[in-house]
Amino acid sequence: MMNESITHTVTRRDLLASVAMAAGLIISYGVLGIQGLMFLLPERLRPRTRRLFAGQLDGYRAGGVQVFFDLSGNEILIRRAPAGLTAFDSTCPHLGCRVHWEEDQQRFFCPCHRGVFNPDGVGISGPPAAAGQSLAAVPVEVDEKSGVVYIEVKDIRKRRA
Amino acid sequence: MNRDPGLRQRLQEMVPFDWSLLRHIGSEPVPYHLKKWWFCLGGTVLYLFIIQVVTGIALTFYYVPSPDEAYASVAAITREVRFGWFIRSLHKWSAQFMIVAVILHMLRVYFTGAYRRPRQLNWCIGFLLLGTTMTFGFTGYSLVYEQLSFWGATVATNLAEAVPLVGPLLAYFLRGGAEVGENTLTRFYILHIGVLPTVAALLVGLHILLVRLHGVTELHFEGETVREDERHFAFWPEHGTTELMIGVLLMYLLTLTALIFPAGLGAPADPTVTPLHIKPEWYFYFNFRLLKLTSLRLSVVLTLAAGAVAFLWPFIEEWLSRRLKFPDALSVLLGTLAFLSFLVLTVWEAFAG
Repeated sequence: MMNESITHTVTRRDLLASVAMAAGLIISYGVLGIQGLMFLLPERLRPRTRRLFAGQLDGYRAGGVQVFFDLSGNEILIRRAPAGLTAFDSTCPHLGCRVHWEEDQQRFFCPCHRGVFNPDGVGISGPPAAAGQSLAAVPVEVDEKSGVVYIEVKDIRKRRA
Repeated sequence: MNRDPGLRQRLQEMVPFDWSLLRHIGSEPVPYHLKKWWFCLGGTVLYLFIIQVVTGIALTFYYVPSPDEAYASVAAITREVRFGWFIRSLHKWSAQFMIVAVILHMLRVYFTGAYRRPRQLNWCIGFLLLGTTMTFGFTGYSLVYEQLSFWGATVATNLAEAVPLVGPLLAYFLRGGAEVGENTLTRFYILHIGVLPTVAALLVGLHILLVRLHGVTELHFEGETVREDERHFAFWPEHGTTELMIGVLLMYLLTLTALIFPAGLGAPADPTVTPLHIKPEWYFYFNFRLLKLTSLRLSVVLTLAAGAVAFLWPFIEEWLSRRLKFPDALSVLLGTLAFLSFLVLTVWEAFAG
């Protein structure tokens, strides 16, 4: 090693002590640094959701769509299909306009750029279809016994302690 | 490997600095007694100050300086942000440690006579740093916006009002109005994270510059037997290693205190209800006790007068010793009395409930 030819006084014990100290310092301050970084990076939490009451199943007409609102005021379109309930966020995936249900055409329609979605929310015409986009589905469930409908929406309650 | 032979030279061209100067500055010989920790208390304060700066910057990422949001943001830091409780506890505890270290550092400097000619000015700068540190503590404590910090700010700004001549103006300026309110919090915030750090950094720079220009005070102890070639050692790496070890020890103690006594949170500030027992942070106990023992105005005037004497002590002592043949022992006695009265008032307040 080159060091040995320059400094004769460095014993193996000294060298080991220095290396151990440097390593200890790097590890401990490094851990602190990592914790600091974790502090600065906001936790990527799974977005908190909340179950929202969305009426009784009896209130849904077959083939029809009911409009509900989530906590931030977004429209949620709930449709009673033969297979059960399906729910979509009415935000058009193209540029964020609101789509609406056209009963006679049995389609969701976005007036901004004439985007068309089939009853399952899949884009079938216009820009969304070209980009292969669909409406964002919202989890919906029906309580078997009571027939109460719930949708699972984003929770916007302030995170206060 | 073909390394550009001109790289070093070009760097030198762009940054025309004589790097050997750094080595020269770093290898300053320091007296052997700096191996003892109580001669390293200034460095201890600096280390803690750096921790304050780093954790403080981290905390500003989440803190919101508005009366409506402040408490909730501190609560979120403490309970929700990853390692938030740890960063906040580090900030809180290293502030406490820093005040203790400042006091110990001042005691060391006083009782070793290191403030005397030619280092009088550095004592004054150091005293200003004490004031800055305490203002840091007070403004920082108020930012939490819990009941105690809100009412602490109310009492303290009312105390400031009792300062002769400038009091009312000072209090009005601090509060940004007639009483503690919306403006106060933003004022304390900008003082705490902008003005005070700048002032402190400048004063610390000056303080260290003067230490470096004068050199560390050489002490000779009675009956000491130190060989001439062992009277000094190099600042780097010897003293640097000492400071590093102190840093590690401090980090260890800080982590322990943060783990065992994490920074808590009282009830949120309520301007309509004064809590039954209000107390400032411990380093203001002496003043609080004085306030209870005397009148508002007298306690403020006494504190200011004591502060002024302490601030100018190196010059006062010089003048006294020239006029009255003031013996050294008397300085030691006065210093002891001054510190003991601080200690007694503090402990008294702590246990008096």
